[in-house]
Formats: sequence, structure tokens, C-alpha cells
Amino acid sequence: MKRSMLFVVMSIMAIAVIVLAGCKRRDQGASAKLQVVTTLFPLYDFARTIAGDQAEVTMLLPPGMEPHGFEPKPNDIIRISQAGLFIYTNRYMEPWAETILKGIDRQRLKVVDAGQGVRYVKASAEEGLEDGHGSHDAEGNAGGMDPHIWLDFANAGVMVNNILAGFVASDPAHAPMYRANATTLLARLADLDQRYREGLSSCGTRIFLHGGHYTFGYLARRYGLEYHSLSGISSESEPSAARMAAMVREIRSSGVRYLFAEELLSPRLTETLANEAGVSVLKLYGAHNLGKDDFERGVGFIDLMERNLKNLQKGLACRSK
Amino acid sequence: MNLIEILSYSFIQRALLAGILIAVLCSVLGVFLVLRRLSLIGDGLAHVTFGSTAIALAFKLYSAASLLVSLPVVLLASLGILKLTEKARLSGDAAIGIVSAVGISAGIMLASVGGGYNVDLLSYLFGNILSISPEEVLVAAGLFCVVMVLLGLFFNDLLAITFNEELARVSGVRTKRINAVLVMLTALSVVLAMKLVGIMLISSLLILPAVSALQLARSFKTCIMLAALQGVCSVITGIFVSFLTNLPTSATIVFINLLFFGVSCAVRRLLIPRSAIPSR
Amino acid sequence: MPVEVVRAEQLACSYREGYVLEDVSFTVNAGDYVGIVGPNGSGKSTLVQALLGLVPISSGSARLFGSLCNGFSQWGRVGYLPQSLHLLNPVFPATVAEIVGLGLLSLKRFPRRLTRHDREKVDTTLGDLGIYDIKAKLIGELSGGQQQRALLARALVNDPELLILDEPTAALDPETRERFYRMIGDINRSRGVTVLLVTHDTGVIGQHASKMLYLDKRMLFFGSFDDFCHSPEMSSLFGEHSQHLMCHRH
Repeated sequence: MKRSMLFVVMSIMAIAVIVLAGCKRRDQGASAKLQVVTTLFPLYDFARTIAGDQAEVTMLLPPGMEPHGFEPKPNDIIRISQAGLFIYTNRYMEPWAETILKGIDRQRLKVVDAGQGVRYVKASAEEGLEDGHGSHDAEGNAGGMDPHIWLDFANAGVMVNNILAGFVASDPAHAPMYRANATTLLARLADLDQRYREGLSSCGTRIFLHGGHYTFGYLARRYGLEYHSLSGISSESEPSAARMAAMVREIRSSGVRYLFAEELLSPRLTETLANEAGVSVLKLYGAHNLGKDDFERGVGFIDLMERNLKNLQKGLACRSK
Repeated sequence: MNLIEILSYSFIQRALLAGILIAVLCSVLGVFLVLRRLSLIGDGLAHVTFGSTAIALAFKLYSAASLLVSLPVVLLASLGILKLTEKARLSGDAAIGIVSAVGISAGIMLASVGGGYNVDLLSYLFGNILSISPEEVLVAAGLFCVVMVLLGLFFNDLLAITFNEELARVSGVRTKRINAVLVMLTALSVVLAMKLVGIMLISSLLILPAVSALQLARSFKTCIMLAALQGVCSVITGIFVSFLTNLPTSATIVFINLLFFGVSCAVRRLLIPRSAIPSR
Repeated sequence: MPVEVVRAEQLACSYREGYVLEDVSFTVNAGDYVGIVGPNGSGKSTLVQALLGLVPISSGSARLFGSLCNGFSQWGRVGYLPQSLHLLNPVFPATVAEIVGLGLLSLKRFPRRLTRHDREKVDTTLGDLGIYDIKAKLIGELSGGQQQRALLARALVNDPELLILDEPTAALDPETRERFYRMIGDINRSRGVTVLLVTHDTGVIGQHASKMLYLDKRMLFFGSFDDFCHSPEMSSLFGEHSQHLMCHRH
């Protein structure tokens, strides 16, 4: 009796799988559009801008999720293997990407390493701090390289060009349109860069303190800010009491009035530091990912960076022009 | 860096205060849980909290509001563990394993079905002993009072069921009710304390002080007191050692507990005459 | 008019494998000392556990002091020494005094705190059983005989009217065993405590108990030891030679 029930259930499930698989295949047949799978939000946003309405772009990471600990699900691997183009950031950000790609037939699939040609910089959370012997923190599994390359807008431009090359190679028929979209995007990034340069040119302080994991190194370097984070890149690492106290002393001695925290992540530690030092907390987007509401509203990378600029100007007491 | 300076940071003061309160209540609960072979209940209920927080986030309830969902769910899960041991005659570890696996997989399932959240689930799930807010110190104090008063009121009943359930019943102890009190107090402590100091600290404070105290105790009352003492000492030294060595605080506290356990075992071998230890 | 302490009517208990106990009916009056005997697996322990409401009854009824076992609440009148001593956790961190004190919980209402008077009562009980010197020892560090007496103290500390002992002599050597029986006999006679004692020691218990209950899944005999010795059913069960040995040991 029990066995026959099991058989019936298994049969139903098997049929369902076959039918669903069939549906999926038919879907694909109907839309001959290029299928593009991206990992993180900046890639997703760049790719969908370049794609226009000629390709379908999806993002692997569910909205809101912190990407450092992301592991792809079987369904994600199927999505990648059925796509024409797969775009990832770099091997520091998505160490799992190379492993997956090994198991996928790459005859049809074109893979873009968006960070190719970018000059990587070492992440150094605690440089310039009095007790900096915790710098081994910053190395960890990321090999010491800071993977958040999109936060330098010149790098973002390199990424756009890499993505464009992928599109052109996968779907040469629509190449002119892709190129046109990419050119517009590059112009917007250049404009954003210009606004950052001007907006952050005359500020009350150039010390940019972040009560979380090392994220904004590229951005700070580009605009000449002195960036310190509470902890290194690895999201598993926890700060020591000594590091917390050192950060508090630094906030006090630098005279900043705002401490930055990253959107999406719990601001507990940042708030503790801010309360201790008597400053306020402002949020910045690391833009690895996007909250669900923003995602559904179609908010883009440049929108996030504009929000960041506002908060940076407020936090660093910059005169706006 | 001197002691006064370390103590001048208010986040350190709050870590010490809330840490001591949580250490005492976890260590005392832990003695009963370890003896009842429910040592891993802390980890199990933490996984259920993960699952229930996923539900809460799906309803856009963040931080404190997520307790509206996770507290009842985790209380029910703790009773579920009890029911599994009573009705299905499973051992405590198997029952905890089942509930814990269901909790964590429900969380993962909800996280993928829900199509993402506005925040990162895991980062909101676990607190850190260094980031306790003044309001959370009050939460810890309230929790401490509730758990301690109830443990005090039911102390003899708890001792009776921990020693032998049949004997307890024949002494008129309502064993089911007392068991429920024990696991529900644990559930309450895990859910609230996890948000304050993180699960690693909770689950180690539920086990290590208790097993060390079992090595040395010469009566049940001294066992409870030794466990509480170790919990408190480990938090205090852990925070200072973390300060001096620049190591993560919670992990340091766990290692200090391990050290205390090693010392307890050694002291037991040295001080307690071999003849007094029954051969097994 | 004898006062009825235990009464079983057509009592039956079953597990999934079937009946372990069937058709047991007997009455124990105040002051009786009943030896419950029978071969291994005959349901002796199940019987006393059913009387205490520790295992479910599948049919029939059992009463303690006139009230049904499954709703029984006058635990202060009962003392119980369980068989399952081997289940005792050897590292359980409680002293003999703490464990004996738990026997007083049956006399208390919520919250069940022990007073100084209670602690004195514990001391007296330990003294009566001659084990005051092990008061502060950990229960897990005692020898089998000491543990047995500590748990007997726990069963006696609330001055029960009914004392139920399940295989209390299993862990004891013959000499201690004899002393133990004499002690129980004393308690029965001097304090008028009703005793139910489960044992497989049919011959020895006969010398002490006032009544015998012979069990082998069902009740085969209930009556005085004299009747037991002269019962033809028992002689056919044991063989006359064994019955003679059992009944005339001394």
C-alpha cells in the first residue's frame, strides 16, 4: 500500500518534471533572444542597459542577499548552462564561478570576466592605524585583492567594455545597437565620475570612516579620500574589542561627524561605534546587490551612486556647487 | 592599555554587563540541559530562529519586530523537540537534529521562494557582544530576571526530573509541565540572547560551563554556582583578552571556556581521590 | 475493619507485542507486607508501575487509597524505590542529602522549597537507615548497596503509608540483602507501613512478607506465605521438592 503510494507520487513528480522541462524548452524556442546571466547587481545593471530589448538579462543573486557567502543552487547552474552569455565580476568576488564553469559545456556559452584588465588594489582595512597588526584579516580568502572594482568608475567603464565585447561576440547581429547603448552608458559613468570629482573636491574632512567590512577602497582612492573600515574583506571575520576601541579613538581624533554603514547589512556594529564616539550613521550602497523593493522599482547602479554621493557630501561636510 | 581606559568605553561596559547576565543564565540552564542530554538544543533552536526570521523578513518585519514571528515559532519548536523525545521515543540529539534541520531548510527554502529581501538575512540574525545597545542591556536584564525567577521557583522540580523522571512523578512533580518550562526558558533565552551576542557564544555558554562544573561539583548547588562562575569569568577575561590580543571577542570567550574545561578536568584528576570516582 | 490501601480489579496492561499483564485482581490492606514474585518477564515491575500510574492500564482498574491511579495525587502517602538503578547517571552532581530531600517534594505545594525543618527530617531519615555519614557524598560515587539505601531513604523521608520497592536487593550481596529485608520488616511492623516488594527471591521474601503475590503475566496466587507453601497449584508449578526448599529454608 505504502509502496504503491510512493510509486504514484514519484510518477506524478516525474511527469511534472518532464512537462515543465518541455515548457521551458518551448519558451526558449519562442524567444530567440540572447539569454544573459549575471552574478552581481552592477553587472546586471550594465548588461541590461547594453542589452536594451534585444537580450534577456537575469541576476543570480536573490535581491538583498550578501554576496560573499552566496552559493549557486542547482537551478542557477541550469540557468547558466542554458544561457548564451555568463558575466561575473572576478575570481575574488565569485570564487565559485570558475568551479561551476568547469562543469558546463562551453560550446555555446560565452563567459565574460568583467574585471579583466582592471588594475586590482590590495584591500588594507587598517593601514595607518596605530595597532595595525590585524592586517592579516584583510587577506583571508580573497587573496588580499579588493574585489569591489565597480566602485571606481573608470573600472566600471572597463567592465562595461568587457561586457559589450561579450554581447558583440555572442550576438553579432545586434552589435551596432549594443555599441550605441554602451556608449551612452559610458558617457553617463563619465558624467557621474565628474560629479563625484566636483562634489568631493572641497570637503570639511577627507577622512572616510566605515563601520563595517572593507568595501569602498576604490572609490576613496579615486577621489583622494582616506578610507578606513572596521574590519577586513571577509564577511565571516569579527572585530576584536581592541579594533573597536581603536576605531572609536580614530573617529574622535579625526573629528568626523558621520560614520558610514553599508545598506542591506545590519548596522549594529556601526551604530555601537557611532554612539560611543558621539557621531551619526549614514548609509552607503556597496551595490553588490539591491534590496527587493528597489529591485522591483528598477533602480539602477547610477541611481545608487547618486544616493551615495549625497550621503558622502553630507558625511564629509562638502560644499556643494 | 590599562584597565581604566578599557572600561571607559561604554560599549565595553555594556558588553560586560549584558555578557555577564547572559553568561549566568546560559550556564545555569546548561547544567539542566547537559544532564538531560539536550546539550545541542541551543544550536537547534538557533536554526529554527533562522527559519522563522526568514518568515518575518518576508512580512517586512525587521530586527525587534521579527521577534513577533520567531519567538512563538521557536517556543513551539522547543516543545516539538520535547514531544519527539516523549512520543516518538527519540533520543534528545535525534529530536534536536530533526527540528534543527527542518528549521534551517525552511529558512533556505523561504529565502529562495520569496525572491529575496530588502536586507541581508544572515547579517540581521546574529548579534555581536561588542554591539549591544543600551536598550538591549535592559532586554538582557529582563530576560535574566524572568529566567532566574522561574528557575528559582521550579528549582527542586527541575532537579527531580533531571535526576529521574519516574521518581519525580511519584513525588508529585508534573514532569511534562516542568520539561516544558525548561525547554521554553531555553527557547526564550536562545532567541533573545542570539540577537544580542550571536549564536556561537550562546551555544558554547550552554555547554562548556556546565560540563566543567560537572567535573568538580560536590553537590548540585555548587555545580550550578561553579557553572555560573565560569560563565561570568569567561566573559570578563574574554573581553579583556580580546582587547589585549586583538582577537575576535566571542571566539576568545569560547576558547577561554575551553581552557577552563581543561583545567577542571585536570583538577578533578589531581584533587578527587581515584577511589571516589566509580569505575565504569 | 481493615483499611484498603491498594486494590486492583481485572487489571491488564499491554504493549504493542501484546499483554504483559492480564486479569490481576487483589486487595492490599493497611499494614500488609506483600511480596510480589514470579519469573523474569512475568510483569512484576509492570504491575507496580501501573499502580503508580507510570505505565498506562489497558483495561480494568487500579486504586491507591481508594482513588484511581491515573488521577492519583496524594503522592505524600507513597514512597517508591525503582528498579532502574543502572540508569543512574554516574556523574550526576547531587549529594545524597539533596536526592533524599527530593522525596519531600510530594508533601509540598508550589513553589516547592525545602525548609530547615525538612533538612533535619532528611538527616533523621539518613540516621535511621545508618547512612548519615554518606550524607554529603555524590550519589553517583556510592557503592550499589549505599545507593540502594540512599534511594530507600528518599522513599521513606516523607513518612509514606505505602512503600513500593521494585527489586531492591538486586545489587546487594547476600548478607546485606538479609539485613535489608529485616530493615523493611521493621519499618512495616514498627510504623505500620504497608509494603509491596517486588523480587525474584521467592524463598527469602517468604520469611518476611505477610502475603505473597505470584505473577506470571497473570496472577497465579495471592495469599499468605503458609497458603503459598501448601497451595497445590504452586507445587505443580515448582515441583514439590523446590517448594519444600523455598518454604523451609530456615
